[in-house]
Amino acid sequence: MNNSNNGKNGTNGDHATGSEPVLRIRDLRKTYMQGKIPVHALDGVSFDVKKGELLSIVGPSGSGKSTLLSMIGLLDRPTDGSVFIDGVEITKAKESEAPRIRREKIGFVFQHFNLLSTLTAMENVDIAMRFRGTSKNRRKERAFELLTMVGLGDRVKHKPSELSGGQQQRVAIARALSNEPAILLADEPTGAVDTKTREVIVELLKGLSEKGQTIIIVTHDMEVARETERIITMRDGKIATDTGGR
Amino acid sequence: MFDLIIRSMTQRKMRTGLTIFGIALGIFAVVVMGGMSEHMTLFIDKSLKLVGSNIQVEPDGTFGGIGTLDESKIRQVKRVPGVTDAYGILITSLDPESGGGGFTGGDMVFGVDPEQQMKDAKLTSGRYLIPGDGYKAVVGSSIARKFNLKVGDELEMKSKRLQRTSSITETRNVSVVGILEYTGSFFDTSVQIPLDRAQKFYKMENTVSLIYAKYAPGSDSTEIARRIELSVENVKSKSPEQNRKEIEGQLVIFSLITISAAVLAAIIGGLSVMNTMLMSVSERTKEFGLLKALGAERKTILFMTMGEAALMGVIGGITGIVAGGILTHFLNKSFEAQGSALFAITPRLILVGLLFAISLGVICGTYPAYRATKMSPMEALRYE
Repeated sequence: MNNSNNGKNGTNGDHATGSEPVLRIRDLRKTYMQGKIPVHALDGVSFDVKKGELLSIVGPSGSGKSTLLSMIGLLDRPTDGSVFIDGVEITKAKESEAPRIRREKIGFVFQHFNLLSTLTAMENVDIAMRFRGTSKNRRKERAFELLTMVGLGDRVKHKPSELSGGQQQRVAIARALSNEPAILLADEPTGAVDTKTREVIVELLKGLSEKGQTIIIVTHDMEVARETERIITMRDGKIATDTGGR
Repeated sequence: MFDLIIRSMTQRKMRTGLTIFGIALGIFAVVVMGGMSEHMTLFIDKSLKLVGSNIQVEPDGTFGGIGTLDESKIRQVKRVPGVTDAYGILITSLDPESGGGGFTGGDMVFGVDPEQQMKDAKLTSGRYLIPGDGYKAVVGSSIARKFNLKVGDELEMKSKRLQRTSSITETRNVSVVGILEYTGSFFDTSVQIPLDRAQKFYKMENTVSLIYAKYAPGSDSTEIARRIELSVENVKSKSPEQNRKEIEGQLVIFSLITISAAVLAAIIGGLSVMNTMLMSVSERTKEFGLLKALGAERKTILFMTMGEAALMGVIGGITGIVAGGILTHFLNKSFEAQGSALFAITPRLILVGLLFAISLGVICGTYPAYRATKMSPMEALRYE
């Protein structure tokens, strides 16, 4: 069922815990101009995501899934429509408020990890908390805690070049979690790792979801998508299917 | 954030090193050229201070050089209303064969009236001249060092006169009765002997080079100087302020050279900082995008890039100042053996050099930093 037309806050009741949605997306549109031709990367997307949900967004290249992710992450602005996180409409936030929203509400995990090569695993996790003004001791404590949780407690002093792809992605996940975000956005998190590592990453994300972390994964990989409790399939900037209602 | 700046710099050692070297070279030039200018300014400043607040009367038509005035003009000057006293001095070169002389260079002999002797320069040993002294001399610190003189030693003066096609050189020894302390002024390279003996030895009886007119404190020196010019024929008269202005005017060309060097240094150093920072920013496009995605504010990224540029400025500045300081120190040492220093590295110059280096770093780091903050995190993250 496509619940994109459902539209009622927290009343769709079609999924999981039945609590208030962490994320609400309403009629989201993004139009790029390719020369003089408008390209509708997002064409009226609406859905809700509840706290603790593990959701994957799949679809062919150009279907708008990455655009959708960057709108949720406030990395880009929609042409029209709204994104609410914890009831706050972030699409109306001023440019100067964007960094605060990003660091407080969103945790990013990227396909190519995007760790800072000059910093150790510990420092890579630490850096996200700096921008929030967390005290040094607290940062250290939390970074160690998170790295231990992702199974890298013995690798804290290692630089990215000394870590395997899977280990780097786990550092990136620890970093994304450091500021206790409302939503963890993972853009092809298993795109650059082997099959075995993929399982480790997916298990890690599933574990986090069970602990109440809301996670949205954008992926090409149906193997990964099948592991999640809800799959939204995008096509031509629209939601084609949403298993959320099953 | 400071540790991140340091890391960024140390990660690209070669480039950071070259940039710092560029700034250091620029500041080095500023320090060396500025040191010369500072020395010149201090020298003239101290000289003028020691000469005191007297009106200077010189023959009309001389330009910077030393002319001659008839001694009778002293009496005429004294009669000018407002003038309380006047005296003449005779200035010649200690060794005419080696050239030199003039206000700013070379060893000079001052024929002075012992009673009018300028005592602002303190003695390190011996005494000042007293009335009735014969061929006695009070010498400046540089002269004493150059000729290795102590009180009681003899110093040879030379005079040279042209007679038809040949020149006659005469020599005469004077005995040193006093040695002045270092003043950083023309006193250091001066030999003061009684005026009458100077006139006799140089065959310049009844002649002086300059007349100094004293006036009552609080009166208008410019007005009195003008009165002297009107009442005494063929003289040019300058109040202390006019004298200072004239000399400072002559320093302008010197300053222009210094400023040009500084501007050149700024361009070279600045371009090297800008180039480095632009390369650094485009290399770190992805990093800045990531930091933004992680919630870094624009000002944080601005601080990181500008901080890096400023830090390179500070390090380059300090290196340049230290290198310039060392070079001028050794140059001064070698010039001192010949009697005079050439550079003065003043606290003011150090401060200017440092501020210059930092602002160079900051100004030339601004554009790259601006570019870094303008980056959209989405685009930056896609950047390969």
